[in-house]
Amino acid sequence: MKLSSIETQLSNLFGVTASQLDRVISGAVKDRLNVGAFCDVYLQGGTEQNLTWDQGLLKRTSCSVVKGAGVRVVIGDKTGYSYTDHLNFTNLRKAAKVARAIADHTSDVPAQEIVGASGAPHNLYPINATPIDVELSDKIALLRAIDAAARAYDPRIKNVTVSLGVEDYNIVIATSLDQVILDNRPLVRISVSCLAEDDKGRKEQGSSGGGGRYEFGFFTDLDRWRKHALDAAKEAVDMLAAVPAPAGEMTVILGPGWPGVLIHEAVGHGLEGDFNRKGTSAFSKLMGQQVASPLVTVVDEGILPGRRGSLNVDDEGTPTQSTVLIENGILKGYMQDRMNAGLMGVASTGNCRRESYKHAPMPRMTNTYMAGGQQTQEEIIRSVKRGIFATTFGGGQVDITNGNFTFSALGAFLIEDGKLTTPVKGATLIGNGPKALHKVSMVGNDMALDEGIGTCGKGGQGVPVGVGMPTVRIDEVTVGGTGR
Amino acid sequence: MSTMNTQKLESLASFVVSEAKRLGATDCDVAISESESVSCGVRLAEVEELTGAQDRSLRFRALVGKNAAVTSTTDFRRGSLTKMVRATIAMAKASEPDEFVGMPEAHQFAKTFPALNLYDEAITKVDVNTKIGLAMKAEAAARGADPRITNSEGGSFSDSRGSVVLANSRGFIGSYSATSCSIGAGIVASEDGSAMQTGSWSNSSRTLAGLESPESIGVEAARRAIRHLGARKVKSQEVPVVFDPLMAARLLGQFVGAMDASHVYRGSSFLAGKVGEVVAVPELVIIDDGMIPGALGSHPFDGEGLPTTRRVLLKDGKLQCYLIDSYSGRKLGMEPNSGSTSNLFIEAGKHTQEEIIASVKDGLYLTSVSGPGFNAVSGDYSMGASGIWIENGQLAYPVDEITVAGNVMEMFQNIEMIGSDLVFRSRTCSPTLKIGKMMVAGS
Repeated sequence: MKLSSIETQLSNLFGVTASQLDRVISGAVKDRLNVGAFCDVYLQGGTEQNLTWDQGLLKRTSCSVVKGAGVRVVIGDKTGYSYTDHLNFTNLRKAAKVARAIADHTSDVPAQEIVGASGAPHNLYPINATPIDVELSDKIALLRAIDAAARAYDPRIKNVTVSLGVEDYNIVIATSLDQVILDNRPLVRISVSCLAEDDKGRKEQGSSGGGGRYEFGFFTDLDRWRKHALDAAKEAVDMLAAVPAPAGEMTVILGPGWPGVLIHEAVGHGLEGDFNRKGTSAFSKLMGQQVASPLVTVVDEGILPGRRGSLNVDDEGTPTQSTVLIENGILKGYMQDRMNAGLMGVASTGNCRRESYKHAPMPRMTNTYMAGGQQTQEEIIRSVKRGIFATTFGGGQVDITNGNFTFSALGAFLIEDGKLTTPVKGATLIGNGPKALHKVSMVGNDMALDEGIGTCGKGGQGVPVGVGMPTVRIDEVTVGGTGR
Repeated sequence: MSTMNTQKLESLASFVVSEAKRLGATDCDVAISESESVSCGVRLAEVEELTGAQDRSLRFRALVGKNAAVTSTTDFRRGSLTKMVRATIAMAKASEPDEFVGMPEAHQFAKTFPALNLYDEAITKVDVNTKIGLAMKAEAAARGADPRITNSEGGSFSDSRGSVVLANSRGFIGSYSATSCSIGAGIVASEDGSAMQTGSWSNSSRTLAGLESPESIGVEAARRAIRHLGARKVKSQEVPVVFDPLMAARLLGQFVGAMDASHVYRGSSFLAGKVGEVVAVPELVIIDDGMIPGALGSHPFDGEGLPTTRRVLLKDGKLQCYLIDSYSGRKLGMEPNSGSTSNLFIEAGKHTQEEIIASVKDGLYLTSVSGPGFNAVSGDYSMGASGIWIENGQLAYPVDEITVAGNVMEMFQNIEMIGSDLVFRSRTCSPTLKIGKMMVAGS
C-alpha cells in the first residue's frame, strides 16, 4: 500500500498520523533496541451489529462502535501491554509508557534478532459493500424467513431462536521495524437454534449456523439460510426419539466438517508455540515423532479465501500461511507468533492473534483441519459392528499439559452391524491427544470445513476460527453417556 | 476515583437521558462503567507480563413505543453521544415492536443504596513492585512445595477499581464504585513414566486485607498438581460421586442458570413450570444474597435498577422462584425479582468432608470437569472428568480421561450428604456434595 494512502486511512479512521505512531513507538523502545526490544501499536476501529430473533419476533437489536489501540513492548520472553479506548496521541503515549514499564523489570537479555513480517498481505476477503450498511429491514426479513422455514419443517418445532452478527473492522499495525500494515476484516455469522416438543412434553434442541468473511449476501446466495433452518429443525426433531448414549470405550465415527473440533482440541492447542517454548504441552518433546496414525495429516491454513478463521495478515502483521502440523502421523510443526518463534529459533507462521486491541496477542489457530483420505463414508460406517456415529458437536476443551481433551457430541446415531440405527442423546467424548490419534483407523475422502461459526477461547480471549475433517473412524474412544 | 468520578459519570448519564427524550425516545436507560486495572504475571521467578488498562464503556437503550435498540460505545464526547442517541433511536424505529419490551415500573426500582463495603482504598495504593512481589511469592511457594514440581505456568496478581452508573427516563439514577484484587499460581508436576499434570489455585477479594496469603495459594496449586500424578482410567461403572466445593459450585451455577425466566417462557428449561414442586432433596437450600458486605457478588442494584435482595431460591426441596427481569416478568405475568444472581450459594450442611469421603466404599471424588456437556433443556449432564478414586472410605489414587454423566434433576434429588465446608471464595459457592449414584465412563 502506498504511504499516502496509509496516511489518509490513519487520519480518517483513527485521527492519528504515521509520524505520531512512530514517536509513540520510539519513545517506548528506542533505548532498548540494542537488546532486541520490539514494539507494536495495534489500532482497531469499526462496528459490530447483532440481531436476535426469538418466539416469532425480533427480540434485540444492538450495535457496538469500537475504536481503540493497544501498545505492546516485547523484550526477550517478556511482554508489557496497555491500551486505550480513547484514541489520541496523548493517550497512546500514556499507554506506551505503561507497556514500556516491562523494560524496567528486564536485565541482561541477550541481544536478539527481530525479524519483521515478510511478504505482502493476502487479499482473501475483498468485499464491495460492508455488511453493516445492509438495511435493517433486509436483515429482519432474513430472520423471519429462517423462523418460518424451520417451523414449516415439522409442527413439533415450538420455538426458533436466530442470532445474526455482522462486523466490519479496520486494523492498522505499526511496528518498531518501520512497518505499517492495514487490513479490513468483515465477518458475518448466523446461528439457528430450534426447540422441538412432542405430545408427551419431551423437549430437545437442535442447532446450525454458518458464515465467514463475506458480504451479507453470503446468506441469501444458494439459499444458505434455508439449509441452516432445516438442519437445526431436523436435529431437534431427530433428538426427540434419542435414547441415552452408551457409556464406555467404543468405536466412534465422526462425520465431516464441524467434528474437526476434535483436531482443534486433541492436537491443535498442544501445538501452539507458547506452550511448547515453555515445555508445558503434552507435545513438547515430540517433534519429528509419530504422534498419530500414518493416516493422519493435520494442517493449519490461514489463507483460505473468505473463511472465518482466515486473515490477510496476523495480528502482528505477518502474512498468514499454510502450516503442516502433522504429516502422515509425524509431528512436523508448531504454530508460532514472532516472540515464541524468535525464542525457539524458527520463523513466525503467521499465527499471532488477539481478540481485540484490549488484549496482548499470542499464538492461535486459524483454520485447522485434517486432510482427506481414500475411503467413502459408506465404507467406513459399514466397517463398524457396534459404535456411534456423531455429526454435530457443541464444542470442546483440552488440558494442554496432560493432553486430555473433551468434546461434546450434540446429536449422534448408534451403529449396529454396519448400519445407522437409533439416534442417541448428546454425550461428552474424552481422550488423550498424543494417544487418541494413533487409533484413527479409517479416513474418508469427504474432507469438509465447518460452516463458519467457531470461536476459540484461550487465556480469556475469543477469536474466530475454522475447523474441518473428513469422515474418520477412531477405535476406542470413551463415550460419556448414561446407558449400557 | 469514587465520589468525584461517579459524579462526572452521573452527569454524563443524565445528559444522555435528556438527549434521548429531546430526540424522540419514549423511554431509555443508560449504563456507564469505567475501570482501571493492572495485572502482572511472573514465570520462573522473572516478570513475564505487565498489563495496564483503562476501560470505559457506555450502553444506551432507546425505546420508541414498543420498539427498542441498544448501542455500546467508548466515545464519551458529548457531540458523539448526541449522534449515537440519534442513530439508536433511528435503529429502534427501523426495528420491530415487541409488546413486552419496556422498563421496570417506578415502584420496582431500588430506593436506597446500602453501603456494601465494595471499595477498598488500600488496593489503589499498592505500587507495581509490591504486586509483582505477591505474584513472585505465590509462584515461589508452589515451586518450592515438592521436588516433583518441574515447570511453571507462573504466578499472577491483578487488581481493578471501577465505577458503575445507571440512569433511566423513569427517574432512576444510581452509582457505586468497587475494587477487587486476585492472586493465583499455575504449576506443573511431573514424574518419570507418567504424564505432566498442572495444578492451579487462586483467590479474589474486594479488599487487599481479605486476600489469602500468596504462600497458601502456591502450596495449594502444587498440591493440586501433585495429587494427579500417575492418574489412570477406571472401568465404566455406576458409583457415588463426591463433588468438591469447586465442582459443586459449578454444578450449582448450571442448575440455577436453568432458573432464568427467559428459559422459562421459552420452555427451554427443565425447571420451567416447576415452582413449588419438589426438585431436590429437602436438606438442600439455595440462597442468592446480594447484600453481603464486601462480598464479590454484592451490588446495590442490578442492571435494570432493581434492588438487590436476599432470595431463597430453593428450600424444603422445592423450587421457590425463577430469576425474573422486567421483560420476563411482563411476559410471564410475574413480579420481577432481578434476572441475575449476586452471591449464590448452597447453605452449609452438617457433614465434614472427611465424613463424606469415609461414607463411600467405591466412588469418585470429583476435582475437575471439562467441556460444555450440560443441556439446560433436558437437564442432561455429561462432562469430562478427573479426580481421586475413593476406596473403602479413603482417597486412593488419581483418575482421569473419564466422564461423569447423569440428569441434573435426578442428581439434585439424589444428594445424600451436604458438607459443612462452605467458604465464600467466589460469586458462586458450595460446600462438598455427595451424589448417590452417577454413571462414570472409562475403559
